[in-house]
Amino acid sequence: MSDKTKGAANAKAEFITPPKTLQNKVDKGGPGAVDLDALAKAEAVIDNLAGDYLDWVSEDFIRLEVAFVTLKSGEEDDKKNIDAMFSIVHDMKGQGGSFGFPLMTQICDLLSGILENGESFGGREHRAMRVYIDAMRVVITHKLKGDGGKEGSQLLMGLQLMRQKG
Amino acid sequence: MSDYNLSRLNFLIVDDNKHMLALVKGILHALGVKNVLEAVDGADAFKELRHFPADVIISDWNMSPLDGMDFVRMVRTGSDSPNPFVPIIMLTGYTEMNRVTEARDSGVHEFLAKPISAKKLYGRIKSIIEHPRSFVRVGLYFGPDRRRKANPNYNGSERRKEGSDKMVPLPGSQAAEAAAAAAAAPEPAATPAPADDGGEEGAMSQDDINALLDM
Repeated sequence: MSDKTKGAANAKAEFITPPKTLQNKVDKGGPGAVDLDALAKAEAVIDNLAGDYLDWVSEDFIRLEVAFVTLKSGEEDDKKNIDAMFSIVHDMKGQGGSFGFPLMTQICDLLSGILENGESFGGREHRAMRVYIDAMRVVITHKLKGDGGKEGSQLLMGLQLMRQKG
Repeated sequence: MSDYNLSRLNFLIVDDNKHMLALVKGILHALGVKNVLEAVDGADAFKELRHFPADVIISDWNMSPLDGMDFVRMVRTGSDSPNPFVPIIMLTGYTEMNRVTEARDSGVHEFLAKPISAKKLYGRIKSIIEHPRSFVRVGLYFGPDRRRKANPNYNGSERRKEGSDKMVPLPGSQAAEAAAAAAAAPEPAATPAPADDGGEEGAMSQDDINALLDM
């Protein structure tokens, strides 16, 4: 494409300068400005909520188990329960790493891969889901924070092997 | 280190998970933000926007009934949008490249992958403050200029010329009218999708996401 043609193409785009509402309301420096102390306090907010996270995640496991049992029973529309499971696992994926459990995020990512866009599943997928859910429980009950040490790496390796074998 | 004072900014957080709402709200308060409003899905947020002058929106993607992406489209192109220019940070557990490009092509300013940290969130807010972008209306797209950096040596395809924008217009919006007009026009020669919009799977790190959006 020649420069002339590129110029003609760009000419079709309409550029608009938005109002600088946000920039006009922000000062740099002075009392109340974000500093290292404020960032540390903000990170502490996450740490303080980490204790509550263990309660929240218990509730998530209950909801996940209900959806999974219903899915396996085949009594209801599969798609509805798959979507419900995906939504719960997706939330758990985002929260795990935020509260110091990145292994949860990794395992939820693997389970999400099965659930996302799924329409209907059979026994093989159900067994894989069971393994992933149990692995997530291990991370929480054994409090495998960070990379989970040796136990965490063995768990993750086992799941990855299972995934490779299909 | 002394940075920006955020105390006068109004933040709207949109998430259907009450724990994430509490977490983001707590982080913002610790950063000095005083005015935070919460909404539980896109429809709720759009309703709140009618009376809440948000300076920044932080929205989750996966919500129901109206998800984050539909919400972004409503804000950007809805004929009744109270503030089409408001900066939007998409905060999501989706980290695949096709998701990042979809969010960019729907008009988000910044993409922040969960897990969240205070430093990462402040980094995205800071980016919005320090790098205000023009808005562009081209084809079906309306939103912040997706070309964050001018590249005089760029030799690839021209998205603006080829009309490859994938944004789904809202019924009744200007974009929908443009789409209807385009549909009525003679069919143009087929053009391949730009390579950078490929639907590659695979999770990306926040650094990879930032690099992709900076391209």
